[in-house]
Amino acid sequence: MILTTLKKESKELFRDGRIRIAFILVIILTIVAVIISAWHYKDINEEYVLAKQSEREVWDNQGEKNPHSAAHYGTYAFKPKYPLALIDQGVDKYTGTSIFLEAHKRNEAQFDEASDQTGLARFGNLTPDFILMFIIPLLIIFIAYNSLTKEKEMGTITLLNSQGVIGFKLIFGKWLAVFSPLFALLFVLFVATGIILSSLPDFGIFSWSSLATLFLAYVVYYAIFINLVFIISGLVKKSGIALVLSLSIWILVCLILPKTASNIAEYKYPYPSKQEFAENITKDKKEGLDGHNPWSEASKALEKQVLKEYGVDSLSQLPFNYDGYRMQKGEEHQAEVYFKHYKQLKAQYSNQSRVYSQLAVVSPFLPTRFLSMSIANTDYTTHWDFADAAENYRIETQKFLNEHFAEESEYGDWSWKADADFWKQLPKFNYEPPTLTENLKHNIGNILILLCWLLGSFAILFFTTKSLKNVKI
Amino acid sequence: MLKYNFKYEWLLLIRNRWIQVLTILLLILFGFAVYNGIQKVDARTSNIAEAINQFKTGEKEMLAQLDSIDKGFEVNASSWLVPTRPIVIGNLHPRVVNMPAKSTAFVATGQSDLFAHYVQPIVTGDDSTLSFKEMTSPVQLLFGSFDLAFVIVYLLPLLIIAFSFNILASERESGSLKLLASQPIDIRIWVLQKLGLRFFWLVIAIIITLSIVFIVFGFDFKTGFMSFVALLSIVIAYALFWFVLAFATNIWIRSSAKNAITLIGFWILFVLLSPSLINQMSNTLYPIPSRTLMLNEMRSIKAEATKKQDEILDNFLRDHPEYATNDSTQVRGFYQKYMATQELIQDELKPLLSEFEAQISNQHRLVNASSWLSPALIVQNTLNSIAGTSTEDYQDFKRQSLAFSKEWRNFFKPMLFKDSTFGKSDYKNLPEFEFSYAIVNMYSKTLGLVFLSSLILFLVLALKPSKQQIELFG
Repeated sequence: MILTTLKKESKELFRDGRIRIAFILVIILTIVAVIISAWHYKDINEEYVLAKQSEREVWDNQGEKNPHSAAHYGTYAFKPKYPLALIDQGVDKYTGTSIFLEAHKRNEAQFDEASDQTGLARFGNLTPDFILMFIIPLLIIFIAYNSLTKEKEMGTITLLNSQGVIGFKLIFGKWLAVFSPLFALLFVLFVATGIILSSLPDFGIFSWSSLATLFLAYVVYYAIFINLVFIISGLVKKSGIALVLSLSIWILVCLILPKTASNIAEYKYPYPSKQEFAENITKDKKEGLDGHNPWSEASKALEKQVLKEYGVDSLSQLPFNYDGYRMQKGEEHQAEVYFKHYKQLKAQYSNQSRVYSQLAVVSPFLPTRFLSMSIANTDYTTHWDFADAAENYRIETQKFLNEHFAEESEYGDWSWKADADFWKQLPKFNYEPPTLTENLKHNIGNILILLCWLLGSFAILFFTTKSLKNVKI
Repeated sequence: MLKYNFKYEWLLLIRNRWIQVLTILLLILFGFAVYNGIQKVDARTSNIAEAINQFKTGEKEMLAQLDSIDKGFEVNASSWLVPTRPIVIGNLHPRVVNMPAKSTAFVATGQSDLFAHYVQPIVTGDDSTLSFKEMTSPVQLLFGSFDLAFVIVYLLPLLIIAFSFNILASERESGSLKLLASQPIDIRIWVLQKLGLRFFWLVIAIIITLSIVFIVFGFDFKTGFMSFVALLSIVIAYALFWFVLAFATNIWIRSSAKNAITLIGFWILFVLLSPSLINQMSNTLYPIPSRTLMLNEMRSIKAEATKKQDEILDNFLRDHPEYATNDSTQVRGFYQKYMATQELIQDELKPLLSEFEAQISNQHRLVNASSWLSPALIVQNTLNSIAGTSTEDYQDFKRQSLAFSKEWRNFFKPMLFKDSTFGKSDYKNLPEFEFSYAIVNMYSKTLGLVFLSSLILFLVLALKPSKQQIELFG
């Protein structure tokens, strides 16, 4: 029975001109999106490699200089793009790509793409994730909205009933007829992407297992959508109404709820404004040691402590340059201040994430979106991870410079300069993004919600169509 | 016959609760959207107010210190923080260069969640790295905001589709079309009447609900009346467009489900696909140069300039003898070198930065021209302009604040070069900033939409019904 229905439905779908056109359109759009994203990905990565190299050259060739001048001169950490960004760009457009690493200060990442584009960018780009998240569910609606209503409108449901067809078997056959072409489309897209990515040089951390997991996430997402559309089709009488209702669900799930979630998250757990954040940090910084200010109370206290520790009377008797030592202590205090404030910011973001998870109960779009971005390493968490890694590197760099200054020069000698070769000794900045396992662990909530959606929607579909008599005529 | 139809249609609309449902839905959607918009505007306004407040506190303290110094008293401040040093005023007491919200800012979030609404440029600041970005969670930026513009651009067409896709088809499907066809009336006129009436009631519902929502949230009609009228007219023109489209599909397409599919196809095309296609096209035709590579170049220019600071200062003073002092004993300070170098760097960066500006404005031109491919885009742009949150507004703010930054620097430059002190009398002369929104023509696009709708309507009425259609109607 299931097979017969599958055959009959597939044939019917295939013969329907509109569905053929819709399918072809989606395929063309997908191909265009993949090609554009691949270009973009290649460009960005080439720029990244170039930028990283030439920034390092600038750093290495700064010539003789006081280490603290070099610290102020600073260097940049650049964020690479990861292979699966080809499928899901996530929030990459809105996060900066380079972080300036200087003395005393943790900077935000600069230069996000969205700031440089027209307002149109906010409507969304033609990227594979746009098609996967929004357009394919729409395609599902177009294919499946009348799968049950048409039996009612043509009166064939009475015939089916008289033949004693078991409801869920018929439904399952129809379900497969909708699911299999999508599955095939998705499979081809993912395999093609995998091949493109593994054939690119320096694709680095691309892994087939991440790609497969991403594939699985979308399969589940589409299964949920098919179930929803089938449930509606079983409950209403007219195809037109079924279509409009399915579409309303789509709008609600994919557009209204994410936007509402973002609004609720913002006014429940607002971010400080840029200025407010900076001010709070300045306030905290002032309370502690400032490496540039030897007259402050904190400096005096440190001085006393160090003198006592080394059992000497004056700073110049210390076995190292106290200026460098104080600089380092000040740096450590400031790093702590930043750590504290960024921790608060992160806490605020976890609160916001909770709001998104709560609303995920009513929108399968949300958990899929977060899971997909996370697997692709284009989510906010990866950005945080990168920013933290850059900050750690900044702290290490400061330590490296201050210690050299403290060890090699005399107290009070601010005109002392480090060798031109010295800069090359600074270790390079290397960043490894979270692995698939880490990402999945982090998204356990989203995965559970998605599975609940899958099982729940299957159950409802099963019970509402167990017997075709239940299907409203 | 016409009068008869009119009366019964009206009774029908009331009895099947079409009007009631629509009004309540609009009230809820508009209400929630405006509430969200106002939350955002409030946050923006209070942020600016707080910054100004902080500035004023610092200013008061600084003025008191200046006063004391004027009177010959000692002040309790470290030597490098004494406000008679011009650099202290220029760097530690920067003006809050802000972009206050328009009274209609809550209408569209636009780019307001992406960009900061005030900056504080300082004398030794670097304009090319002055950040105009607000601190927002990128997830929020990705999802966007449930604002009035979203309701109007995305949801209103769907409401219209839901209430108009089966006007003719339902008559056919329920068999009453035959009865109608026996009446002496052109079927197209009959559909037009039916839709016309629905349009009329929708317009009334929109005007009433929007007014209620605006009144409830305390909109100031006295100052904002013209914006309110502009808002209403673009919304009505947009609704008209969708009704005309519904009319065309009702006439040309047989079944109600196919009708719905066609209309939704248009919706997807106009609201989802065209914007992303046009955006992609503008990015491909006018790619924005790489910021990362710009950064590299900037670093090289700066590194080069820093090495040659002394030489640069010499050249600078030769070009600007007015900044040179006759005092040959004067030591060339850090700030003199810095300012001269900064000037050179800015000059050298200019072609690089203007490349960005040029590409962005090229993109804008393309996007503006091609926005006629999608009425949704036209409406979104118009709503952004009404709200003062369009990309153009933020670019304007950037331009004006950079101009002010230059003014601010130029004010202090002679003082820094001549090592003169900042006195109380100089304080009055400090440049002030006030942002002015560009004046936009809010009706040209509305008229364009009305024209487009009339064109479609005319086409549908002028084309003779095809054989197939006559067969259908008969």
